[in-house]
Amino acid sequence: MMTPEMLVLPTNLRSKSTTQMSKKLLCFLSLMAGLACLGAQPLLAGGIKGKVTDKTTGEPLIGATVYLENTKYAALVNLDGTFSLKHVPAGTYKLDVKYVGYKTLEQVEVVVTQEGEEKEMNFTMESAATSVSSVIISGNGKGSNDQSARTMEKYAANVENLLSARAIELSPDVTVGNAMQRVSGVQVLRGSSGDGRYAIIRGMDQRYNNVLVNGIKIASPDDKYRFVPLDLFPSELLERLEVIKALTPNMEGDAIGGSMNLVMKEAPSNFLLTANVSGGYSTLFSERPFSAFYHGGISQKSPAEMYGNSYTATSANFPLNNLHYYDKNNPINSTVGLTVGDRFLNKKLGIIISAAYQNFYRGSNSQFLIPSAQPNAVLPTAAGYNTNPQQPAFTDAFDRQYSTQTNRFAINNKIDYVIDRRNKISLYNFYVHQNEYQTRYTPDSTIGTNSSASSISVDFQNRSTWTIQDIYNATLQGVHDLSSKVKLDWTGAYSIAQKKVPDQAWYDWNGNVNLNSNGETTSIDSTTYGAGMNRLWQHNQDKDLAGYLNLSYVPKIAGKDVTFSGGGMYRYKTRDAYYNEYSLVPNYGTVVPFHSIDSMALVFNPTSGGQGSQTAVNYNTYTGHEKVAAGYLMAKFMLTHALQVVGGVRVENTQEDFTTNMPYNSDQGYGTIHYTDVLPSAHLKYALTDDQNLRLSYFKSISRPSFAELDPYHYIGEFYDEIGNPYLKHTRADNLDLRYEWFPGVADQLLLGVFYKDLQNPIEYFVTRNGGPSALFIQPQNVSQANNYGFEGVFTKYFGMFGVSANYTYTHSKVTTPKLLYHYVGTAIRTDTVFQSRPLQGQAENIGNISLLYKNPKIGLDLQIALAYTGNLIAQVSPYYGFDIWQKAYTQLDFSGEKRITKRFYFYAKVNNLTNSPNRLYIKFPYGQEYGPALPYQTSSNVTNVERDIYKLSFLAGFKFKL
Amino acid sequence: MKKLLLPALVLVILWGSTGCNKWAADSNNIYKTVQQAGKTVSDSVPLSGSIRGTMLQGKTYTIDSNIIINQGDTLMIQPGVTLNFRNGAALVVLGSLFSEGTQAAPIYMTVLGVTKNNTPGLSLTQDSAHIGLWGGIIGGTTCPFMVIKWTHIDFAGGSYGNAIAAIPQVNQSAGTSYNILFQNVNGYFIMEDSWVYGGTDDCTRISCGKVHVFRNTYEKCGGSGGDCVNMKGGTVGTVAYNFFIGTAYNGQKVSNKGQAVGAPQSDVVMYNSTFVNDGAQVVPGQRGSTIDYEQGAAGAFFNNVAINCHVGYRVVNNPVADTSNLTYGYNYQYADSVDVANQFFTFGPVCMKPQPTDLPLPSSYLPAGWNYESPSQGSYDGTPVVQKLNPMFVNYPLPANNHGFYPWQNDAIGSADFHLQPTSPLIGKGTTSAVSPLVVVPIDPVYGATEVTPPGADLGCYQSNGRGNQH
Repeated sequence: MMTPEMLVLPTNLRSKSTTQMSKKLLCFLSLMAGLACLGAQPLLAGGIKGKVTDKTTGEPLIGATVYLENTKYAALVNLDGTFSLKHVPAGTYKLDVKYVGYKTLEQVEVVVTQEGEEKEMNFTMESAATSVSSVIISGNGKGSNDQSARTMEKYAANVENLLSARAIELSPDVTVGNAMQRVSGVQVLRGSSGDGRYAIIRGMDQRYNNVLVNGIKIASPDDKYRFVPLDLFPSELLERLEVIKALTPNMEGDAIGGSMNLVMKEAPSNFLLTANVSGGYSTLFSERPFSAFYHGGISQKSPAEMYGNSYTATSANFPLNNLHYYDKNNPINSTVGLTVGDRFLNKKLGIIISAAYQNFYRGSNSQFLIPSAQPNAVLPTAAGYNTNPQQPAFTDAFDRQYSTQTNRFAINNKIDYVIDRRNKISLYNFYVHQNEYQTRYTPDSTIGTNSSASSISVDFQNRSTWTIQDIYNATLQGVHDLSSKVKLDWTGAYSIAQKKVPDQAWYDWNGNVNLNSNGETTSIDSTTYGAGMNRLWQHNQDKDLAGYLNLSYVPKIAGKDVTFSGGGMYRYKTRDAYYNEYSLVPNYGTVVPFHSIDSMALVFNPTSGGQGSQTAVNYNTYTGHEKVAAGYLMAKFMLTHALQVVGGVRVENTQEDFTTNMPYNSDQGYGTIHYTDVLPSAHLKYALTDDQNLRLSYFKSISRPSFAELDPYHYIGEFYDEIGNPYLKHTRADNLDLRYEWFPGVADQLLLGVFYKDLQNPIEYFVTRNGGPSALFIQPQNVSQANNYGFEGVFTKYFGMFGVSANYTYTHSKVTTPKLLYHYVGTAIRTDTVFQSRPLQGQAENIGNISLLYKNPKIGLDLQIALAYTGNLIAQVSPYYGFDIWQKAYTQLDFSGEKRITKRFYFYAKVNNLTNSPNRLYIKFPYGQEYGPALPYQTSSNVTNVERDIYKLSFLAGFKFKL
Repeated sequence: MKKLLLPALVLVILWGSTGCNKWAADSNNIYKTVQQAGKTVSDSVPLSGSIRGTMLQGKTYTIDSNIIINQGDTLMIQPGVTLNFRNGAALVVLGSLFSEGTQAAPIYMTVLGVTKNNTPGLSLTQDSAHIGLWGGIIGGTTCPFMVIKWTHIDFAGGSYGNAIAAIPQVNQSAGTSYNILFQNVNGYFIMEDSWVYGGTDDCTRISCGKVHVFRNTYEKCGGSGGDCVNMKGGTVGTVAYNFFIGTAYNGQKVSNKGQAVGAPQSDVVMYNSTFVNDGAQVVPGQRGSTIDYEQGAAGAFFNNVAINCHVGYRVVNNPVADTSNLTYGYNYQYADSVDVANQFFTFGPVCMKPQPTDLPLPSSYLPAGWNYESPSQGSYDGTPVVQKLNPMFVNYPLPANNHGFYPWQNDAIGSADFHLQPTSPLIGKGTTSAVSPLVVVPIDPVYGATEVTPPGADLGCYQSNGRGNQH
């Protein structure tokens, strides 16, 4: 039992002098944020007030109970760490402070001399598991709540931002992908169902940012990106989310924008049981039904895989089951989560298992115009020739409806064993299995070549896609204090990721819409002719084996601790990919009306098109390896008492190879690539005061092309076909960061920073023409050089039960690339090359987030409203001058809330996309009608709208149980 | 003796001065070079892989797998040679190809043991023409000369396959299945007096180049789709006196799509071609069946004949052809049924202006002020021209017996003869002055075009003066 003297430490956490200036700035910023600055002091009528914080970290212990024994006087600790007991009559009391997971403070004597007197008392509490957790976390901190997250940001040696498990739990986000957009400088790219899939950090495309799980890179099932898609991780498995924006030498060097580290939950100090169950609904499906296809009986293997490549398939090999559809009305989304954890064997063995199941029905309605492979040349006699000698033309207007069912099961397990105070080992297992069933229905009005003012030819298409993704990762880690000055840690990691798309099937048929002179539809014939059917089998697998070893030594030099560390890692990755597409056409001597896919006679024409030796032998089927070996040396020391220096150098050697199954002597049929990078870095942190830092960082980093990009693949894309590029070089970057940080309250912060990045060989996806004259492809290509610089600001402030968190990033980048100009010169049409500058693809100049938080521990109510803004950005680079496709700025508004019902039961609700923000793409060019028919979906005369995706509002509500 | 000498001398002088001049005619036997490139190609073993040299007159060669004329190499095929392709093999031309057949001794490129089936109304799989039995002639971007004269190209249209698709100078997908491909903007594509039978996609795809396509016959070309002579951005030249029957899509089509930096604008002159029963796989309002001028293409088309084709001549207006540099007229059409007559001027994204020189006279059936720039379906009634102006073919009576099928399902020539009877209304109706050939290829009996036949006085490919298409 502790004595009151030991416990009650009047902690003056910050000197009063902590800059009136800063406080004013803070007030100003909070006003800017739309909130009144209520002042930091809660008004008291009289009684006892003060703060309750963690003894070691100084974090406020929100929700801790402060009460006077044998009285009705009790209070809960607020968001900012304060409590107050009001109207306490004069007398002597015994005061207790209780908080789960902490040693209770008991019978602190308090004397209230007179009613109305304001007594200030601050308390610190000691974690019940301190002795164990200090070993377990080995200096990492936990970061599972916002306050400790701030503390970790403050003490981190480099520039980083954190999101705590608590913040994620309270946020409207079900997946890590969506949670990521709450972090400063991060924008997320949404998949076709509206979920965040990849993150863009400080305007740097997802390729420039790596994703780590517990600090380890794991294999990705994605066929295009080397990092795991974020929407695979249910957010409730997370302990915290770290976004590290300046790399130290001990980190893998392949992040230019930043490194995202998903730290998974660890074993708790006491028995833990939480469970949650919820149901939800996407309002998109109150307007139209969810369209599902029959997926029973789908063959996992293609005819060529079953019978060999010399087998000639016919239409009989392709049952039509998965091209039959049925409607699901008002499908209900559901999630179930369970976490159990405890420590055994005298608390030496900790085990935690988290399991989550999600079943979601989502969708979008998408409208899209396909630019023609070639623009129109404006006649020299036409008005506007001088300003716009070429004009975009469009071939198709798609109206697509996506219905996507995703069910996902994930298990996260961590076992740690504390051998003794100096040695600890842990095993982490992660498994996720996801099935995605997607129906895409496309009535495509061909507006270009085959349509006119009097009739529109419509190509209908139904597509069924079943995507299976699996990831398994096992990480074994050990931490050893070899002496008081020497520490060793090691990691062995195995991960396997696979993605299978068995029998993706689609078929097309044509119809005709006839219009009268007013453009009104007079008749629709949806049976003109059947166009054909395609069937595709695709799968890929990534297998990683990696080992890491780090050693640190802390001698005293000139009376100061200097940490020297060094280490290395080696990763051996194997990737296999298989791709086999069959294409069948109607078997008629002339055009025959279409009635249903079942009655259409289909055939391979030429007949050899059904042979695996034609369809399965291609560049998309390959095996590749990547071997990365890296080593580093690093030193960390205090140069003066206020200036911390971290610096060192990392060397990474990369060896890559690929072998396609193309015949020998095929151009680009196989190849090897290797390079070695020397990556120096230096990080200075200067403590202006106790709670203010100034940081300056330089680091060099790289970004490797994704594995699949180096293979000369050819895939059918969602809108354009895509081809690979084995000559792609890796990107190198010099990065400079300057940041000012201020942590005024226990959980408050103000961060202001600027950054500059100089990129060599950045990779952009260009739309190019290759092969046939009508064919547009997207291909990854190097741009020789690009700059990216910007400003970043983060602001978080708590006032009693209210909190506001906001961040804003300004980014500017520039590249100059050659473009085509298709125009009349005299009386002849010519294609010329001109140069045009633009921002990097996918980089928004302005991005920002603001969220408002309300937390009332007394009644157990949490509310959060979050707004994310992403400015205009280039979505697709065009080969023609001035025809880049831009994504329009959008704002997404989400809401979430949680209410305690009983001591252990909570009700929670999350509502996404309150304002039904569409995704909109446009070309910065006014479409003139003299060269084609009127375009659908147009709203402005200054730009040409080319895409609009609507996701609608969705909500989720359920119950949570915590023991 | 002396008495005899004088009279003999006199006789000789007399004979020499007045007698048989025939003997004086120079009779020589000077060796004439037989065009031959490098060494001769042996016919003793089946061919595969790289190939160059000369295939000797009258010999038969078996091609077991793809043969490739490498960049800088030449293959010269002498008259009367037969090439039998097996295993779906193709002839890849990265260097030069001279297929020099003659009228007397044409060259055959075919597969053995396949019969032609002239039954109308067959589905694709029922007809050996549309199976795609060998890979065709595949020109790469480095091919400077592809000269094809008096050559039969039968049953091609097989997929190129991955090994060919992977050749960088070919740069196509494995599934591509054109009978003939040419794609060198500075190269010459010369095809004269030849025959193509069958196919699965475009019969002749000219991605770009200088072309001369004269007096050829195309039968049953295309499969579920495909144009016969499909020319893209950067193609310049003349296409004339060709005969088409039973095509999937168009006979002759040109577009400026895909014009590369530095390539000329597509500009193709077309005249005196005949189209019969074409456009089997065409949906009216969407595609054409005879002649199509598309995006940015310039040129001219005159003196053409279309009989019972699914859709008439088209000038596309979205994306628009280079109408400011495109002229046309003197084009003839014939319809057995009103459905065909209603597509003489088709609807949809087209803008072909009726010409007073066209036959039948457009004003005899189009309403006054008919909107040619954006015609709608059913905007005129073709009844007045049904079965009018019978072309009077030598052996193809009209209205045709279509055996219960659409005209375009009667896609074989068989015993028909499309030459004109002396009473044909097409004789003398052509223009010889409104259009002239655009000659961009060398004229040479071997290394160029043999003959640039000027526009003919009679409409269509067969001329009453014996010129034009010689088949």
